[in-house]
Formats: sequence, structure tokens, C-alpha cells
Amino acid sequence: MSAQPFTTPVEDSVPKTNDELAIGENLDFQRKWWRFERIIWIFFAVILLCDLLGLFGRGWLAKAERSTPDNGLILKYERIERASTPSIMTLDFGPAAIQGGRIQVFVSNSIVMPLGAQRIAPQPQQSSVGNGGITYTFAATQSPAAVQIALEPSFPGLHSFRVQVVGRQPIDANIFVVP
Amino acid sequence: MAIFIILRAAFGYVFLVLIVRIVGRRPGKQLTPFEFVLVFYLGGLTLTGMVGMEVSLTNAITQILTVAFCHYVLAFARYKSDKVAQLLDGIPLILLEKNNWRSETLSRMRIQDDDVMDMAREQGIKDLSGIKSAVLEAFGEITIVPNKSKGGK
Repeated sequence: MSAQPFTTPVEDSVPKTNDELAIGENLDFQRKWWRFERIIWIFFAVILLCDLLGLFGRGWLAKAERSTPDNGLILKYERIERASTPSIMTLDFGPAAIQGGRIQVFVSNSIVMPLGAQRIAPQPQQSSVGNGGITYTFAATQSPAAVQIALEPSFPGLHSFRVQVVGRQPIDANIFVVP
Repeated sequence: MAIFIILRAAFGYVFLVLIVRIVGRRPGKQLTPFEFVLVFYLGGLTLTGMVGMEVSLTNAITQILTVAFCHYVLAFARYKSDKVAQLLDGIPLILLEKNNWRSETLSRMRIQDDDVMDMAREQGIKDLSGIKSAVLEAFGEITIVPNKSKGGK
């Protein structure tokens, strides 16, 4: 290849304003941009408001409570969670859940895997796997009694789960994990 | 998953480009302390979400390459299309011409006559009558064209 540089002649390619300054001002575009900016600032404000209300988790709208008809199990959780962010799911047990000085509770595998159960308090006496989940056995005296599961979801998306006092009606619910 | 690492990095880059473009340009040749805070704070906050708990060297390299690739694509699109260049960089705007302020531009860009005069003084212009035209450049600086017949150099 030749050592000569490639060149093209200079032309008046940048539009002039008032035939003087080559600026390339485009007020039509700029007015559209200002309109877009106004809309996007409103959009940002709406996002912040939704966040404060808990639409993206960790707020008033995110909190949920479900119970079985006999009030043997009351489940408090966040229906909207944030990925890699800790939260607590609380299982409150009524008198109907305590049988023979113990509570047996089944949680589906989805509590462990996509919803990222980190620990359970208090520690169960016994845990066994099967039927698509884990059955925990806790020693219990009388109601009120509660168990807490610390969650830290890894995967964004909608995840279904089941919690059930063994032999009683289950609670099926969903948690939506935002990125 | 590896795809999420790449998507997070790409989203973070595009989101920051949008935010910086929206937040707008301020006149001046250097960053003010106010803008320093914005740049570092935005960078730090974005980093938290992009990296998360995954701090391996592989993740860092993957995300750096993703950002470099996104930047290359945007730079190429900007070079090929004037419209993309206008969207990404903005356009120069006239602030003053023929002894008239462009009041709509001044108010929308939150620029005062003092800001224009600051730049004019740097060129030895004593008052506003020495300015033929003033242009807010896409990169934020105000360019002054002196009025040679009236006190401009």
C-alpha cells in the first residue's frame, strides 16, 4: 500500500446559522428532547414513588399475610422481594398446629432453591426431605409459637411455594423477585 | 448465570449513559465539586448493583469487556448516524446572537447571563455588547464569538 494518506476535500457539511456560524443547531430536535426530558423526569418520580410504596419490594405493598382456615398457620412474608437482598418469612402457629408436643411443618423446595433460604430459627429437632420439599419438626409447648426463615433470593422471576403444617391445609403462594 | 453478568453490565452502561445525558450539561471547562460528587456517586452506586456478591476476576473481566463492547457499538452508531450522535451527545445551542438572548434555550438549559459573561471575560471581553454570539457546545462549554466592532478582541 502506498504511503500517501487518503484525503477528501473539505466541504461546508455543518449547517450554518444566519449564514455565519457553522453550528448545526437543530431547534426542532432540541424541543423534542426537552419534551422527552420532561416526560422522563415524571417517569423517574413515578418509579421513586412506586419504590417508596413497596412495589419493588421492602415496603408497604410488598408485605403479605396468609392463613389457614383453622388459623393453625399464619404466614407473613414479602410477596415482592429483591434479588440478593435478605428478608424474613415468619410462620406463626396456632393451637391447631401443635400435636403431641411438637409442630411438623413442610416447606417446598422452592423456598430453599430459588428463594434462597439461608437459615431457620429456631433450629428444628429434625428435618427430613421428600415429596418435593423439607419437613421440619420442632418441639413445642403451646401457642403462640413462631418460626422464622431467612430468605435471600438469587433468581429474579415469579416463584411459587408451599408451606403446610403436616396433616393440615397447605398455604400456596407466590413471591415475585425483582432484579 | 453468566448471561446475567453480561446483561447487568450492559444495562448499567446504557442506564448511566441515559442518566448522564438527562441530568444535563452545565457550562464550564472543568467539573465543579457538585459534578464530581455526581460522577463518583453514580459510579459507585452502579458498581454495587452490577457486581453484587460476585467478585471473581472472571466476572470483572467479562463485565469490562461487555462495557467496552457496548461503548464500541455506541461509538460506531454515533459515527454512522447523525441522529444517534444528536441523541447521545446533544447539539450545540445558540444562547446569544445579534444582541438578543435566546430566552427559551437559557431557561431550559438553566443558564444565566452571568455564565455567558464568565466565559466572555476569559477572552478579555468587558461587557455583553462585546459578544457577537455565544454558543453552548454539546460538551458543555460556552463558546464566545467576539463582536470585533465593539470592544471584543
